[in-house]
Amino acid sequence: MQTITLKLKDAAMSGIAQVPVEVDALTPDKLFGKSEAELKAVKVWWGNKQEATGDLFDVSVAGDAGSADEVKIVMEGDLTRVKRIGDGMKAGEIEARGDVDMHCGAMMEGGKVVVEGNANCWAGREMRGGELVIEGDAEDNLCAMYRGEDKGMTGGKVTVNGNTGELVGQYMAGGEILIKGNVDRLAGLSMRGGKITIEGDAQWPGPDMIGGEIVVKGKTEMMPSFRPDGTESIEGAEYKKYLGDLAMGEKKAKGTLYVR
Amino acid sequence: MADGELLIRNGVVYDPINGVNGEKKDICIRDGKVVESVTNPKVIDAEGRVVMPGGVDIHAHIAGGKVNAGRIMRPEDERKGVEPKTKVCRAQSGYSVPNTFATGYRYARMGYTFVMEAAMPPLAARHTHEEMVDIPILDNAAMPLIDNNWMTMEYVKSGDTDLLAAYIAWMIKATKGYGVKVVNPGGTEAWGWAKNCDLNDAVPYFDVTPAEIIKGLAEATEKFEMPHSIHVHGNMLGHPGNYEMTKDTYDVVKGIKPYRDRPTMHATHTQFHSYGGTTWGNFESKAGAIADYINKNDHVSIDLGSVILGDTTTMTADGPMEYSLYQITGRKWTNHDVELETGTGITPFLYSGKVSVHTIQWAIGQELALLVKDPWKIALTTDHPNAGPFIGYPIIISHLMSKKRRDESAESMHKAIFDRAELPSVDREYDLNEIAIITRGMAAKTLGLHEHGKGHLGVGADADVAIYDMSPEEKDAGKIQKAFLNTKYTIKAGEIVVKDGEVVAAPPGRTIFVTPECDDKLMDEMLVTLKDKFAKYYSVTFNNYPVQDAYLPNPYEIKAPWRSS
Repeated sequence: MQTITLKLKDAAMSGIAQVPVEVDALTPDKLFGKSEAELKAVKVWWGNKQEATGDLFDVSVAGDAGSADEVKIVMEGDLTRVKRIGDGMKAGEIEARGDVDMHCGAMMEGGKVVVEGNANCWAGREMRGGELVIEGDAEDNLCAMYRGEDKGMTGGKVTVNGNTGELVGQYMAGGEILIKGNVDRLAGLSMRGGKITIEGDAQWPGPDMIGGEIVVKGKTEMMPSFRPDGTESIEGAEYKKYLGDLAMGEKKAKGTLYVR
Repeated sequence: MADGELLIRNGVVYDPINGVNGEKKDICIRDGKVVESVTNPKVIDAEGRVVMPGGVDIHAHIAGGKVNAGRIMRPEDERKGVEPKTKVCRAQSGYSVPNTFATGYRYARMGYTFVMEAAMPPLAARHTHEEMVDIPILDNAAMPLIDNNWMTMEYVKSGDTDLLAAYIAWMIKATKGYGVKVVNPGGTEAWGWAKNCDLNDAVPYFDVTPAEIIKGLAEATEKFEMPHSIHVHGNMLGHPGNYEMTKDTYDVVKGIKPYRDRPTMHATHTQFHSYGGTTWGNFESKAGAIADYINKNDHVSIDLGSVILGDTTTMTADGPMEYSLYQITGRKWTNHDVELETGTGITPFLYSGKVSVHTIQWAIGQELALLVKDPWKIALTTDHPNAGPFIGYPIIISHLMSKKRRDESAESMHKAIFDRAELPSVDREYDLNEIAIITRGMAAKTLGLHEHGKGHLGVGADADVAIYDMSPEEKDAGKIQKAFLNTKYTIKAGEIVVKDGEVVAAPPGRTIFVTPECDDKLMDEMLVTLKDKFAKYYSVTFNNYPVQDAYLPNPYEIKAPWRSS
C-alpha cells in the first residue's frame, strides 16, 4: 500500500482572487509507478497556466504499491478551490480532507473517492463506475450530464450523507445514488435508468423521466404528470408507486417513483 | 503574405486543370503566386511526395447564423474538439460545428485553402461575413439564398426575367455574395403555411411552382457573366423515392445556355436526392439512375454529400426537412423564419452503420462518385455538417481509392448494403489524379475560380499548395487517410501555414465576391418594387440593409458584366 499526501500550499490560495487548481492529472492510476521527483513534476492547471504539482502542493510519499489499486492519495489543505478531484480516475483511492470544488469524481470509471466535507456542483458528473462518498452536502447537478449531453451517470455508486442541490442525476442512465438528507428541486430530471434513493424530502422528483427508479422516504411534493400504480413494500415500509413522466407520452413513461 | 521565394522541389505533382498527372516537377513561388522561375528561394524538398493545388470546397456550412445557432444548441459538440491555444492558434472547440478558428486550422491541415459557405440568409449576411473574417487561413465566399424570396417569386410569376436579374444583381451586391443559392425552392416558403412543395406544386399564395422558380433563376443568372451557375438544393431532400424528382429538377434547366463552358445548374449534396423506395422500410439506392443521367448530360454538375458515420449536426434553410428529421429522432430541434427571404432548421443526427437506412445513405454518396464516369462532373463534399463533418473527407478519399477498404467497411455495416445498394458490386478505384479533380479542379472550374488563381498550379495561380506525406504508389487505405488528414506542408498565398500536420502560421484569408453589373434603368425599375417591400415588410430599412465594405477587410472582387446577347 502506498499513500501519497498532497497538501495544498497556503500560498496557492493567498492571492486576492483564489485561482482554482484542476487536479484531474493527480489520480492513483495516473500517478502509479512515479517516483517522488516525477510526481512533483506532473503538470496541473492553475487558472490558465500549467504548474508543477510540487510547486502547488507539499508532496510526501509513504510505502510502495504493486498496482494502481494499492495507491491512496490524501489531499489536505484548503481544497475549496481545488477542482476535478478524481476526475476520470480508474482505480485506487482518494481521500479529500475538507470541502472540495466542482467536478469531484466526474467521469470516474473505478476506485473510490471520499470527501470529508461538502462538494461543490457537478460531483460525480457522467460517472461510469467506482464509488464516491460525500460526507457533507453536495451542490447542484450531482451525477448529472454536462451541458447539452443526453447521458448523465451510467454506473457506480454515490453516497451523500448530507443534503443536495437541484438536478441530482439529470439524464442519469445507470448506477445508484443514495442521499441521506433532503434534495432540492428536480432530482432525476430526464432520468433514463439507475436508481436514486432519497432518505429526506424532495420537491418535484422525476420530471421528464422515461426510465429508472426514484425512492423518496421523506416528504414529497409531486409533479402532476405521474400515474398511481398501487402500493409496494420496500424494506418493510409501504410506498405508493407512480409511473411517469406522462408528459413524455404514454408509451415512453417508463420511470418509477416511490413515495410515502 | 509570402516569405519571398519558395521552391517546392521534386514533388510528384497532380494539377488536373493543367493536365499534370503525377509528374515529377518543381513549383516556383514568388510574392504569393506561382511563377516560372525563382532565383534565391527557400527550398522545400518534396521528393517522392504527392503535391496538389490547395483544396477547394464547393459546398460547406461554416459561417453565419445557423452555424452559430448549431454551436449554441450543442455545447456537447463544442466539448468534443477542445484544443488549447498555442503560440500560433487560438483556442479550438467543436467537432461537427467547430468554432471559426478550428474551421480554418483543420481545413488547412487537410490541404484546403478555399471554402464556399453554401447558404447565406441575406438578412444575416453581416453575421456570415463577420464569421468568415474570423476563419483564419482560408479564402471564403458565400452564396445568398434567393429562391424562397417574395421578390423572386413575384418576378417568376410575372415572367419578368430581366427584372429578376436586376434583383439578383442587387441582392448579390448587397450581401457581398458569390452566386445564387436555391434551397427547397418554394418549399421553405410553404413551410410558413406548415406545408412543403413537390417540384410542380404551387407555392401557397405566390402561385408559382418550384420548377418555375428554378428555371427563372437559371435564366436570370445567365443574363450575367456569372462565374458560377445556380447552386441548387432541390425539393424533397431526404425523402424515400425522391430520385425521379431529382432528375425532373435537372431537366428544368436543360436547354438554357450558360454564359461560358460550364453547367447551367450545380446540384448539391446529391446523395440526399438519390433515394428509391416508397418508405424507410423499402428504402434503396438510386445512385445508379442519377449517375446515368449525369453521364448522359452535360448541363448539370453535382457534389456528393457523402455520409460520415457518427454524430453530426444537420442544418439547412430547408425548414420542413429538418422538422421531418426531428420527428424521426426526437432530439433537440430549432426552426427559424427569415422574414420574406428564407428559413432555417437545425437538429442533431447520428449516422449509424448498424441502421439499414444510414448504411444505404453511406453507400449512395460513394456510389455517385464511382458510377459517374467523368470526375469533372463531381466534387467531394459531405454537405458539412449535414452528412458529416468536413474532417471526414480523408475517410471518403480512402474508400474511393480502395475497393478493399470499402469491402471491409461494408462487412461491418448493416447487411442491407448488399441488397439495396450497389456499392459492394462496384470495382472502380480512384487514382490520385481523380482525387485531385474532385477535391480541387472540378470545384474551382465549376465556381469559375480557376480564372482567379484557385485550384491549379499554373504560372500566375495563387501559391496555394498541399504536400501530402505519402508516396504516389501508396495502396494502404489507412495510410492514405492519414496523409490526407494532415499535410506535410500546406502553403497559402506563398506562406507555409502547416508543417508536419501542425499549423505554423495563421494569416487572414480573403473574401471573394461577385459584382453582377446591371443596366441602371432596369435596376431603378426593380428598386421601386423592392423599396416598397422594405417599407411594408422588412424589419430593417432599405438603406441599412447592404453589407458595408468594412465587413470585408481582405476583399477580392469578380465583376460579372451583363451579357449583350
